[in-house]
Amino acid sequence: MVEDVEMTSMVTIDNVTQSFALKDGGQYIALKDISLEIKEGEFVSLIGHSGCGKSTLLNLLAGLTLATKGGILMDGRQVTSPGPDRMVVFQNYSLLPWQTVRQNIDLAVTNVLRHLSSEERTELVYKQLRTVGLSAAADKFPRELSGGMKQRVAIARALAIQPRLLLLDEPFGALDALTRGNLQQQLMQICQEAGVTTVMVTHDVDEALLLSDRVVMLTNGPEAEIGQILNVHLPRPRQRLEVMEHPDYYQLRIELIGFLQQQRRTRQRRSAVAATMATSPSRTAKVVRLGYLPGLDVAPLAMAIDSQLFDPAVVQVVPESFADWRRLEERLVDGGLDMAITSATTPLQLNLGLGNQPGQKRTPWAAITPMTVSRNGNALCLARHLLDLGIEDRASLVEWIQARDKPFTIGIPQHHGIAELLLRHWLTAGGLNVEEHIAFTMLSPLTMVGALRTGAIDAFCAGRYRVAEAVEDRQGYVLATDLDIWSGHPEKVLTTSEAWAAANPEALVAICSGLMQAAARCDNSNQRDEMTRVLSQPQWLGTRSAIALTRQFKTGRGDASPELLRFNQFHVDRAHIPNRSEGTWFLTQFSRWGWCPFPTNRQELLALTYRPDICDHALAEAGFQALPAPRSTFALADGIPFNADEPIPYLKKQLQGSLPPMERAELPATSSQQPVLIPTA
Amino acid sequence: MPETTQLPPSISPLSSEQERPFLQFEGVGQVFKSRTGEFEALRNINLTVSRGEFVCVIGHSGCGKSTLLNMVSGFLHPTSGSVTMQGAAIESPGPDRMVVFQNYSLLPWQTVNQNVALAVKAARPELSAKEGAQVVEHHLELVGLLEARHKKPPQLSGGMRQRVAIARALAVQPEVLVLDEPFGALDAITKEELQEELLTIWAERKPTVLMITHDIDEALFLADRVVMMTNGPAATIGEIMEVPFARPRSYEVIQADERYGQLRNHALDFLYRRFAHDES
Repeated sequence: MVEDVEMTSMVTIDNVTQSFALKDGGQYIALKDISLEIKEGEFVSLIGHSGCGKSTLLNLLAGLTLATKGGILMDGRQVTSPGPDRMVVFQNYSLLPWQTVRQNIDLAVTNVLRHLSSEERTELVYKQLRTVGLSAAADKFPRELSGGMKQRVAIARALAIQPRLLLLDEPFGALDALTRGNLQQQLMQICQEAGVTTVMVTHDVDEALLLSDRVVMLTNGPEAEIGQILNVHLPRPRQRLEVMEHPDYYQLRIELIGFLQQQRRTRQRRSAVAATMATSPSRTAKVVRLGYLPGLDVAPLAMAIDSQLFDPAVVQVVPESFADWRRLEERLVDGGLDMAITSATTPLQLNLGLGNQPGQKRTPWAAITPMTVSRNGNALCLARHLLDLGIEDRASLVEWIQARDKPFTIGIPQHHGIAELLLRHWLTAGGLNVEEHIAFTMLSPLTMVGALRTGAIDAFCAGRYRVAEAVEDRQGYVLATDLDIWSGHPEKVLTTSEAWAAANPEALVAICSGLMQAAARCDNSNQRDEMTRVLSQPQWLGTRSAIALTRQFKTGRGDASPELLRFNQFHVDRAHIPNRSEGTWFLTQFSRWGWCPFPTNRQELLALTYRPDICDHALAEAGFQALPAPRSTFALADGIPFNADEPIPYLKKQLQGSLPPMERAELPATSSQQPVLIPTA
Repeated sequence: MPETTQLPPSISPLSSEQERPFLQFEGVGQVFKSRTGEFEALRNINLTVSRGEFVCVIGHSGCGKSTLLNMVSGFLHPTSGSVTMQGAAIESPGPDRMVVFQNYSLLPWQTVNQNVALAVKAARPELSAKEGAQVVEHHLELVGLLEARHKKPPQLSGGMRQRVAIARALAVQPEVLVLDEPFGALDAITKEELQEELLTIWAERKPTVLMITHDIDEALFLADRVVMMTNGPAATIGEIMEVPFARPRSYEVIQADERYGQLRNHALDFLYRRFAHDES
């Protein structure tokens, strides 16, 4: 799972959170869960809108402040105070006005490099002045210098004491465009010659691209986090104007500018949504209608209700069972439900207007997901007679399908859902042309086994307990589980509307918190009997299905039951986090299969959809530690590593080198533009 | 003669009934006399601007951009050649040509409302008190400042002050709007918001706009044409670039256009290679 660190990193920012006390007794969380590795000799820029905490992060690196949570390591040692191995250059130069240029530098050298003789020191000072082209100004006072010259002195001073890490806080922010350009060029040469590792805060995208190896983009504050990291692979040495003529330059620039613009719109959207919501905390418990389809995935919901884990002072949860996803989604969108446990892809589908039928478009509807309810749990179940044909693995299945003249029919709970994505991925990775050979049929999960029995379908993909049912009935056998395709994938998520979430923050946190506490019990093997008892109740799975859970999961292939630890994962391994990286993967696949263009404004779309902030509040409420979503690269069955920061190269590989259609996704109207959904009774 | 960059065809700002030049610079030169001698700021400027066109002027400091615009405002007369509007020479400042400066130039002791109302009253005396109030309100609404109308400039942020200045200029309903680096002092976010607002208000009545800027991205977002000046002394128009992007524009759409990078690089090449300024 964890990406290997190719080079040893020099600086490690380890899960840093920085908060400040407010006058009213509250806390302002400037940075949240920042983790970053910086390699020796690397030039990293931090970019983001004002208030995103980029200078706060720089101050932490400098050791001027200490992180509230987490910490910073340099060469394996914790940074706790400022030191001469880390020099900071500020926008306002910070030169001593009553000392000459030479004296300003000499003072720093004398303080730090005490072992040098005075001749050596003088030589060093002049060498630095030569480096920045200021030998002639050695005996001038700062006030006699232009802004650009002053900043060169500040840089010369910082580099004179040979720091390992150079920290630049908008060093050229106060200079005009022209001076800035020349200084950027000089700085780049100096840093390269000195081989000094550099972290620079800037808001100038061209500056960031010219100088950096990587640009770290921070999301809006408060609670700013790393939104995206851009690798700037432009060849070095770079020249300011030539670099812009590189064929990739404007693509990179669009990534940066697009990110900043999307952050801006996300902020506008959040404040617009917040402004329409009257804050009147109700005294009575909110009645919340929560839709679901019976399945093992609802175990946390069943357990939470049975054990009264939803705070009765805040919410009264009314579960509503559905037989198919289409109906459930209709009720969610028309306001008949307040929220639902849906496929992990549903919130993005709703926001994009991507329907559950091939080619179906619908009006985008502003959906959010505050938590993942379950991970894994699907299996591909084939009709029993295929086992007699010797189909025991993907290779034999693919070979058999390719040899026959009609498509292989697979029942899925809904089109465009997680099950279809996993199957398409897995079969394609096995060399099958899915479009040509597979017919996906949407069926209610309740009717899958029957359809298999009648031969209406050749196989189906569904949750473990439907599959167990087919195996018990000797109708089918398990060819693969999602552990073979993407272990730990999000399966079901809690979905509600942006407006409902904004209007009922307390109720939403109470529900998430209850589900999380129940999920922890579901993952606890000591609670297995209790879980079976609860699920046996008729409104959940009923006796027969629940009994299937008490046995080891059988594949129906006669071999010993494989160890399917975590086949259903509800809580462990940060299971609850609504993870934007996973959402990014969904977007690549929607585009891969031609269902919709890849959105150029994915950050905005993901920020609307995925709400780890609500998840964090709920985790705290439930008494669990809030851990950040891992920013690691993951690979699925085809082995192509997926890095959420670079979805396009990934998609290009899957599309054999062709570029997918890209388009800006029109986001759904905010609640203020939508009719307000008034709950009945 | 200024060369015009060959670029893909664009929407023409000219419509058939507006073929008569609206604003015209013909052989314009400007020489300033001082005790130490003469300083030739501009030489042989030729430019025709159509009605409703949005033109940005870009160049290094000292290239005479402000001098050029001051002749449109009527603050300055050309030493040679002529600046005419609808065929008549521009003699003096007038409410048909409104100027917005970088430093806002609001009256600090008057409220936002009063600042705008004062200009409307002076420029459009024919309006009744009620009509005048409506005009003020409408323009404050356009820039999203209705709620701040009773505040005084010192209570406002830079972005809000510049919004007042723009609202004031447009409430007068000028034929020509002259903007002298209006967003130069603002942060990137506020700047972008104001640029979008400016385009929205401009689209309402389409006054002719001449705007000075240092920012190439700003010029490409706003303008129909970008006039690039050579360096002074004796600065002149080096090149005119047509900006082909359809309106209404969004940054996202135009920057995704592959012509964007070409145009931007072309302008950068002009400013930083062909007419580079030495840093001293």
